[in-house]
Amino acid sequence: MDRANHLFFLGKGGVGKSTSAALFSTFLAQKGFRVVLVSLDPAHNQSDIFERTLSDEPVEVAPHLRIIEIDEESWIRTYLKDVRQQINRTYSYLTAFNLDKYFSVIKHSPGLEEYALILAYEHLQKKYSDWDYLVFDMPPTALSLKFFALPSLSLVWVNHLLALRREIIEKRELITKIKLLKQEFERDKVLNKIEEQRKQYQTLKETFTHPEKTQVHLVLNPDKLSHAESLRIFHSLKELDIRLYRTIYNKRPLNESCADIDPVFAETPMLHFPFSETPLIGIRQLQRYLQANEKEVQNQLNTC
Amino acid sequence: MNGFFRRIIEKVVAFLKLSDEVARSNAVETIETEVEELENIFGVLVLGSYVGMPSPPMQISLDLMPFMEKELILMMEKVDTASQPLSQLFSVLDIG
Repeated sequence: MDRANHLFFLGKGGVGKSTSAALFSTFLAQKGFRVVLVSLDPAHNQSDIFERTLSDEPVEVAPHLRIIEIDEESWIRTYLKDVRQQINRTYSYLTAFNLDKYFSVIKHSPGLEEYALILAYEHLQKKYSDWDYLVFDMPPTALSLKFFALPSLSLVWVNHLLALRREIIEKRELITKIKLLKQEFERDKVLNKIEEQRKQYQTLKETFTHPEKTQVHLVLNPDKLSHAESLRIFHSLKELDIRLYRTIYNKRPLNESCADIDPVFAETPMLHFPFSETPLIGIRQLQRYLQANEKEVQNQLNTC
Repeated sequence: MNGFFRRIIEKVVAFLKLSDEVARSNAVETIETEVEELENIFGVLVLGSYVGMPSPPMQISLDLMPFMEKELILMMEKVDTASQPLSQLFSVLDIG
């Protein structure tokens, strides 16, 4: 059974989502939870924060804490190669088409980027289902929102295609019956595949909208721009029925209250990482920071 | 004499069989055309990007592509005949 909770860190570029994700992961690992920190951000700041060379292969940076960097291009390549191989196996007139050209262009198609992230997400979800937390450092806002919207959007298409395919099969069966032709017992492969797709997107949608399984952390700063973008993220997620789990208010000037924050965010539990005078680079520095501020962070989490 | 009657009966049976077949074919002709058109729509919907039409999210088309060789061939044929719409219409209506 999948028991891992998925924590997503979103926000405008530069607000500190990678550092927040790194701090949160280190904090949870220190508490004894088994955590995998996954960087879905093409900028891959985690390797700079932890001062380690990271890749698709997990690297253990501290007890109970592993880090993975997703190479989305390699996921796209593998996916297209799989489709190509499947076509080679099933098509009988392969040489009639110039599919090679088509495939060389297709890898740059819009939409494949977020699907590569979805494939990586599904893979990790299965692989680490018995861990406690999967923490995702998300890519820039536009791509993150496309990632969350992909299952709902795909379901609209899949449901329409499914209805159309069923109508075709029903009518084909009617013709076979009236013309007294031999009944085909093999199930329509296209219908099978569409049903498979529907199941896949339905499961993803249910996971994303599950209030405990998917915990979206929105990181924002006191400045107007990050505030405005965070509001857009909040409303886009709401449209997708994805609840905001926690707001992380970063870079708040000392002795300043949260009174100027939008009431929308004030409604969600809020966390504020105290200001650090030294840069939070390297696992030792992260651990030292958490040790120094453990009481305050823990108090905030308890009141959340 | 028996042979003569048997031959007549056989002919009548064959005639009835043929009439039945023709009647059944006529009955489903409209449905067959409808299915053909539905299959065309399905092909265009899923593989439209191959011939420059708007299409569903790329991964949906790609996942279905290995099972849609027939539709892909059909699409290519449609592209071929697209430049001769009148001749296609004449051939459908059996004119000329």
